[in-house]
Amino acid sequence: MVTATNKGKEATMSSIEAALKPRIRLRTPWEYTGWVLSILAGIGILVSVLTNPNFKWAVVAQYFTHESILRGLMLTIFLTLASMTLGTLLGLGLAIMRSSHVKPISIAANIYITLFRGTPVLVQLIFWFNISALYPNLTIGIPFTNIGTAIDMNALMAPITAALVGLTLNEAAYMAEIIRGGFSSVGKGQIEAADSLGMSAGTRMRKVIIPQAMPSIIPATGNQVIGMFKGTSLVSVLGVAELLQSAQLIYARTYETIPLLLVASLWYLVMTLLLSYPQSKLEQKYSRATSRLPRKAKKVVLTEPEGTLR
Amino acid sequence: MSKDGTILAQKIRKSFGPKTVLKDINLDIASGEICCIIGPSGSGKSTILRCINGLETVDSGVLKVNGEDFGYYETAHAYHAHSPKKLAEQRTRVGMVFQSFNLFPNMTALENVMSGPVLVKGANKKESAKRAQELLASVGLAGFGDYYPAQLSGGQQQRVAIARSLAMDPEIMLFDEPTSALDPEKVGEVLAVMKDLAKKGMTMVVVTHEMGFAREVADSLIFMDDGYVVERGDAREVLSNPQEARTQAFLQQVL
Repeated sequence: MVTATNKGKEATMSSIEAALKPRIRLRTPWEYTGWVLSILAGIGILVSVLTNPNFKWAVVAQYFTHESILRGLMLTIFLTLASMTLGTLLGLGLAIMRSSHVKPISIAANIYITLFRGTPVLVQLIFWFNISALYPNLTIGIPFTNIGTAIDMNALMAPITAALVGLTLNEAAYMAEIIRGGFSSVGKGQIEAADSLGMSAGTRMRKVIIPQAMPSIIPATGNQVIGMFKGTSLVSVLGVAELLQSAQLIYARTYETIPLLLVASLWYLVMTLLLSYPQSKLEQKYSRATSRLPRKAKKVVLTEPEGTLR
Repeated sequence: MSKDGTILAQKIRKSFGPKTVLKDINLDIASGEICCIIGPSGSGKSTILRCINGLETVDSGVLKVNGEDFGYYETAHAYHAHSPKKLAEQRTRVGMVFQSFNLFPNMTALENVMSGPVLVKGANKKESAKRAQELLASVGLAGFGDYYPAQLSGGQQQRVAIARSLAMDPEIMLFDEPTSALDPEKVGEVLAVMKDLAKKGMTMVVVTHEMGFAREVADSLIFMDDGYVVERGDAREVLSNPQEARTQAFLQQVL
C-alpha cells in the first residue's frame, strides 16, 4: 500500500507523476466496524434460521404449493388487480372533480378524500361488511314513486364484495391525490395553448393533460400496486380466503402457525419482488432528464445549421 | 364563416383582485392591419392580448373580435357568457403565439400542427398531415415533422407554434412577446416568419420589444403604460416622433 501522507513528502512523492496519481477515498474506522458488525449479525441470523427446528422448513416446502394456498394467492392477485383498476378509475373521476371550478363539486371530492384517507382501511373494511346494520335494504328506484326494487344488503355484502368495495373506495382516495398531483405538474401554458386552439375540456384532458401527467402518475401508481398487494391481507378479517386467510385456515387445523405464516410471507415477498422490477424500471424511465422525450422519438440529425432562416 | 379580422375594444376594464391592470382600453384594429403593442412590463399589454383570445375575461367594456361580441352575447341589460362550445368556436378564429411556445411535448412537430384541425375541427387526418407539412415548410421547417419539441431549438419551437396556430386558419394572429424567450441569435428566424405572414394580409397584433420589427413591419403602434393606451398612431411616426412625454421617455430607454 502506498502511503502518501504529509510525512513522506520527500521520498515517495516522486514515484508517479502527480497529475496521474489515483485519488483514494477516505475510509473511516466506522466503515470497517460497520462491515464487521453487519456480517456477524447476518451470519448469526442465518445460522439461527437454519438450525432452529421450530421453523419447520419441511412444512414450509410442503405447503408452499398447496392447492388452497395457491387458490388464496390467486384471490389476492384478483383483489389487487380489481381494486387497483376500479380504484384508479374512481380516483381519476375524483381528481377531475377536485380540480373542477364548480365549488360544490370540488368540495365533495375533497370531503371524500379526507374521509377515506383519514380513517384506517381495516376499519373501513369492517364497516362495509356490516353496512347492512345501517341500511338493511337497498332500494334502487325513482324517488317519490313506487317504481324500483329492494335488495337485501346482507346478501349483497358478501365478504368478497365488502372486501372489493372497501379496498376500492380506499384506494380511490389515494389515487385521486396521485392523479391530481400529476395534473398539477402540467404547466399552465399547456392548458392555455389547448384553450387558444379551441379544444373542448374533454379533448384537452385526454390529449394534453393526461399524457403529460403520466410520467408522475405511473411510478406512484406502481408503488400503490405493491402496497395494495400486501394490503389485501387485511381482508382476512372478513373471512375472505385470500392468501393470508388460506394460511390461517390451515394452521388452525394443524397448529403449524409459524411455517404457514412463512409460506404466506414468502409468497408476498416473491410477488412484491416481481412487481418491484417493472416498478423500478418505470421509475428510472420517468425520472430521467430526457423523460420529456417520448420513447418513440427519433435521434436528432441536424440537416441544416441552426438559425439559417436568419 | 365570414372573413372579418377586425378587433374593436371600447372602455375595457380588467382587474386581478385589487390591482386594475386595464383601466380604459380603446382599440380599433382593421382587417389586415399589423399592430404592435409596446410598453413597460406590467403595463397591461399582455393582458389585453389574452383578453382578445379569451384566456382572460374582461370585467367591463365592449370587445368585438371578428365583428362579433367575444365570449359574451349582449342583451338589453347585460353581457351573458357564451357556452364553452361557442367560445371555443370563436377562439379557433384567433390564433395565439406564446412567449414560452407552449408546444405539446407529447406530440411531434407535425402532430402539434395537426392538433387543431384534427382534435378540434375533426378534420381528416391524412389531409391535415399534408397541410401541416406545407405549413411546416412555410415556416422553414420542412422535414422536421417527426421531431419532438424537446429536440428543437427555441426558434424552431416558436416557428412550429406559429404553424400550429396557422393550421386553424384564423383571421387574426396574436403574438405575446414571441421572441423574448429566445437566444438573440434565433430571434431573426422567428421575425422572418412573422414578416412573411404580414405580407399575406393576416391581421396581426404583436406585443413585442423588437422596435426594429415594429418599424419595419407594423402599420400601427400602440404604446401602453399603467393600464392605459398612452399613444397610438402610425408605427414609424410614433417611433421617430413620439408626442407624449411618457412615450418619449420609454423609447429613449429602449432604442
